[in-house]
Amino acid sequence: MATDKSNIQLVVNGILNENPIFRLVLSMCPAVGISTTMMNGLMLGVAVLFVQVFSSVTISIFKNVIHPRIRIPTYTLAIATWVTVIDLVLAAYMPEAYAKMGIFVKLIVAFAIITMRLEMFACKESVNASFWDGIGMGLGFMAGMMAIGFLRELLGLGTLMGYDILGFKPLLFFVLPCAGFFVVGLMMAFFNYIEIAYKKAKRA
Amino acid sequence: MKDIITIIIRLTLSCILAGIVMGTTLIFTSNAKKHNEHANEQKTMFGLLGYTKDNPAPESSAIHEAYRYVVTKDEALSVGYLVPLADKGFTFITIDLDGNFLAANPVDISQALVIEEKERNKVIGAALGDDTSLRYADKTIIVTDNGQRIAYLLPGAFPGFKTFISMMLALDPSFAILGLEIMEHEEDPGLGGEIEQDYFKNQFKGKSFAALKKLEVVKTPIPTDFLKALEAKKSGMSEADVAAIKEQYMDKDIYALTGATISTVAVTNGAKAIVKKFAYRISILDNVLKEQQIAVPF
Repeated sequence: MATDKSNIQLVVNGILNENPIFRLVLSMCPAVGISTTMMNGLMLGVAVLFVQVFSSVTISIFKNVIHPRIRIPTYTLAIATWVTVIDLVLAAYMPEAYAKMGIFVKLIVAFAIITMRLEMFACKESVNASFWDGIGMGLGFMAGMMAIGFLRELLGLGTLMGYDILGFKPLLFFVLPCAGFFVVGLMMAFFNYIEIAYKKAKRA
Repeated sequence: MKDIITIIIRLTLSCILAGIVMGTTLIFTSNAKKHNEHANEQKTMFGLLGYTKDNPAPESSAIHEAYRYVVTKDEALSVGYLVPLADKGFTFITIDLDGNFLAANPVDISQALVIEEKERNKVIGAALGDDTSLRYADKTIIVTDNGQRIAYLLPGAFPGFKTFISMMLALDPSFAILGLEIMEHEEDPGLGGEIEQDYFKNQFKGKSFAALKKLEVVKTPIPTDFLKALEAKKSGMSEADVAAIKEQYMDKDIYALTGATISTVAVTNGAKAIVKKFAYRISILDNVLKEQQIAVPF
């Protein structure tokens, strides 16, 4: 089964129609736990983008030799390998970026979104399509994380990307762990509302 | 049955393949990684002493490291220090719990290998013989300028609100705090996480040993002028003003972070404990070095 979408459509699909956080509701743990600042969202997004693209391409290349009954362990192995490689390379050649991203990179092995994308897409599609789907999913995840981070950082700390915007802390509650659930839930409701309103307007 | 065999073979093959990829990367990157970690530590150390890129440490200054070990021999505990010697090489000094000198064993290890814990443990173990067991405790970094001690750097860790907070303290020869840097922590962002902010860390700067010993935490807001002085980088206050205001608050206690008294107390007590223990240990070590006339470069 080959996808009939163009490369651009695949990328847009990952960001809008099948946004990992707001539409597929996958990888909720990082979305709730780590999205306290916009910078965190960006860093984790970049890390996921790389791992997703590399793993998608790897699985797509080897899709014909992976035994169907052990595909999940194989996916995990592929993801773990790429996470380790990226972790090592970052630590060796980009120490400053690693100081900020290090802890996030190690978390990625357990992300549902990557395994799910390998299972749903990469093991059936061509290498080219998997590459673009990986980019779309990574960017979609990054956009989602940054949107949540934007709201939480602005409301909780009064800053954006570490720069002081408001000069005071409006609601410290928003950077505490439990606020993640509220922010994700409310944003999801907001996006669903927009979608429904958009569809209605289209029909009328 | 046939299925299970192909599954085994394929899984094994993919594991080997993954192992080769990861192993190759490790071989290519491990040296660069080690170098970076070391460079990063050095940068923090120099930063604490006030040296930056524009204001580098003078040529005459040098860094010496002393490693402390807990040594067990015939069920008797003693403390061991691996110290560099003035004329090349290292020696391992064992001191009993009352502060009396026990032995000094020369240790054959190069400057490059001594920073690696595994290598160091192996070589010291060989020097002491098989019947002793060793446990690495911590290290002290002694900074000298023309052979005179100008600062001590003490890495240490203690429990915070959630997990361990690890930090590096810089002391001058009279054990007054020159600076404090939080290396790792997992406190809540916005609350305990504020311990890594300048306005908190700078409160410790300049506290003398006597003031530190009775340092407490007070739960009142930081006075505005003091806050401005602590955040001199942000508020753009002139250095003379900062010094004047800091002088006023020199003997004051630490102002607790809003909503994070536990983290504040943890850091304060942690710093207190590290400095107190260190002051005791270094006096014993100095005594022994003097009595035994062991020439060290610090």
